[in-house]
Parts: sequence; structure tokens; C-alpha cells
Amino acid sequence: MTHLEIENLASDYLEGQLNVLRQAEVERHLAACPDCRDLMAGVRRLFELCQAAEPLEPPPWLVPKILRATVGERKPGLGERLIAWFRPVLQIRVVYGVAMAVFSLSMIANVAGINLRHVKAEDLNPKNWIYQANRNGHLMLGRAEKYYYDLKVVYEIESRLRQLRAQPTDEAPRRQAPAGGSTEGAPVSGPSLASNWTPGNAFQVNEAAWNLRAFSARDGGGHRSVRSTIP
Amino acid sequence: MEQDLQLVKRCLAGEDSAWGDLLRTHNRKVYNLCYRFTGRTGEAEDLTQEVFIKIFQTLRTYDADQGAFGTWMSRVARNHLVDHYRRTRKERLTSSLEEDPAVLEETPSSEEQPLAQVESRERREMLQAALDRLSPDMREAVILRDFQDLDYDEIAEVLGVPQGTVKSRINRGRLELAKVIKRMEGVKGG
Repeated sequence: MTHLEIENLASDYLEGQLNVLRQAEVERHLAACPDCRDLMAGVRRLFELCQAAEPLEPPPWLVPKILRATVGERKPGLGERLIAWFRPVLQIRVVYGVAMAVFSLSMIANVAGINLRHVKAEDLNPKNWIYQANRNGHLMLGRAEKYYYDLKVVYEIESRLRQLRAQPTDEAPRRQAPAGGSTEGAPVSGPSLASNWTPGNAFQVNEAAWNLRAFSARDGGGHRSVRSTIP
Repeated sequence: MEQDLQLVKRCLAGEDSAWGDLLRTHNRKVYNLCYRFTGRTGEAEDLTQEVFIKIFQTLRTYDADQGAFGTWMSRVARNHLVDHYRRTRKERLTSSLEEDPAVLEETPSSEEQPLAQVESRERREMLQAALDRLSPDMREAVILRDFQDLDYDEIAEVLGVPQGTVKSRINRGRLELAKVIKRMEGVKGG
């Protein structure tokens, strides 16, 4: 058997695939040929290395990556999609925010006199909101203006009445003075308020008070303070 | 084999989970085949993905009567690897001496590893370096036989060559590898 034949039969010999006769021939040659023995030892060493070589572990992200490249991302179910949709809404801060907004709106509605039970479809029209805001603004302005003028009238009436009440007490000693003594030394003053009093003036004051009372009665509870100032 | 066939049928019926199971069952084998062919982990990862995409696209062409799914898969992988080898031959010639950066990154220093792990890694790298010196024909035959544990019949089917040619390639490949390894160990041993 030649070296070349040994080389060609090396794998079969080492894998035990030669028949007994052929195997004996190879062994006889190996016993006599150190080069072929060396060659066979090298192939045996290779077998050992191959058997000892542990397979490499693929990286853990490889399978998910291939899955994404082939079947794509896994589609979430209906439940998962619903939860994902509501997840941002169910956060504590969002719930607090919504609760505070509802509370604020209800407070504003309550102060503005809006009863949510009586809200109609046309109340939701922004055009009506503008109209109502304009109307309420004008009403408030009118009431403030009227209140201001009412206060002026009341103050005037009060001052007139105070003058009228003060008049008899001032005149009493002056009228009695000429009867028993001299009028000398009596304070000489200009025309006093009392001296200006005439039945006509009294009539004017009464008329003003009467007008004010009638006005207050007509205007309802909005001028309670005015009415209370009328004597 | 029967399990693979069931998974393939479920895949063809549109079950994504079956494809996932098939992938998990065989990805290690394909990855190692790719690594043995290329000697680089990064390239092996890309090639494994490409091979499985090809398998996914051509799964309908698999005929169970023609052979086991594993054999068919190896054939698809082998064809893809040979194509890849032809495409990147020039590039490989210029960068054959460069080390795989992915391996260097993943591998801790010798001091941090137990002795057995260091020896195992050195053996693997030496084997891989020796494999890289073989011609593609011999290399793929040796890999399928000694690393993938395929029979000669299966290898002949995968490579599409007669069994005699397979045996010849494997034998010549082994002798070549043995010489290279002996040289490497001689250099290492001083």
C-alpha cells in the first residue's frame, strides 16, 4: 500500500468504514511508516478538536430580529390596544386635572346661575354666549350707574332732612330773645339754612322722597339699601 | 423530523408562532454553519438572518417527500453561503488577516476567564483559522460533516454532488486541516 492510498483511506479508516482486510493493510503500513502514522495522528487530533469545539450560542436578539424581518411586529390584541389607549388617561395627575376642571366649571356655572338641568341645545351655540355676555354686561353697567345716582339722591335727601330737623332747635332761642332782653350780642349771621326754609322747599323734599320710594319699590330688591335710608 | 414537518405545515397555514418555534429550533445550527463559513460573528449574524428570510420566503417549495426539513434548510443555507462567498471573495482576500472585531469585543481578557474557557476559545479560534485556509468546496464539506454531523448522503444532497465527491472533499479537507493545525500547534509550542 502506498502513501497516497493511505492518504485517500484516512477518513474511512478513522471512521471505521473499511472492511477487515483493507483495515489490516492500512495498519500494516502505518506500523512500518512513521510519516503516515504522523499524518493519521494529525487527523485524529483534528477529530478531537472538532468534537471538543463547542457550538457558538447565537446572540439573544437574533431570533426577535429575524421574526421582525419576516413576520413583522406582533400585532396586539383588542384588550392590549384598549389598555394602551387608556393608559395615559388613567394616570393620577390626569384624573386630578379632570376632577379639578369639572369642579371649576361647576363652580363657575353655579356662580353664573346656570342650571345644567335646564341647558338647551341653543345654549351651546357660541353666538348665544356672546349675546348673553353682552346683555349681562350692559345690565350690570346700567345697575351700577343707577345705584350711583340713587346714592346721590339719597345723600341729598338726607342732607336736606338733616337741615330741616336742625332748624327748629336753632330758631327757638332766637325767637324768644326779643321778648325779654336785648338782641345785642346775639350772633349775627348771614342768611341761615333755616331762614331759607319755605313751604315750597318742604314740598320739594317730600316730592323727592316720594319719588325715591316709588323708584325703590319698582326696582325690587336691588335697592334695598336705598329704601332703608328713606326715613 | 416529524415535529419540524408539523411546524412547517402550521407555518404555511399562517401561524406566526409556529414560525417562531421553527426559528428557535434551528437558529443555532444555521448560526454555527454561518460562523464556520465566515469565521466572523457579525457576518454570521447577518447571514443567519438572510438565510432565514430566504427560508421563510421559499417555505412553500419545501417537499417533505424529498427529505428532512433540516437537510433542505442546510441546502438553502449552503447555497446562500456559497453565493455570499463568491460576492465577497475580493473583499475577503484583502481583509483575511484582520481579526473579527465582534469577537474581540465579546471576549474578555485572559485573566478574567477560567483556564478551561481560555483553552476552549483558543482551540476554537485555531480551528476557525485553519478552516479559513481551506478552499470553499472542501470547507463546506468538512463543516457539514464534522461540525453539523450530517451523513454523507445528506451532504451529497445538500451540496448536489455525488457521494464519492463528498467523501473525497472531506478526506482531502481533513488532511489539509490536520497539516495546518499541526503547523499552528508547532508554532505555538515553540
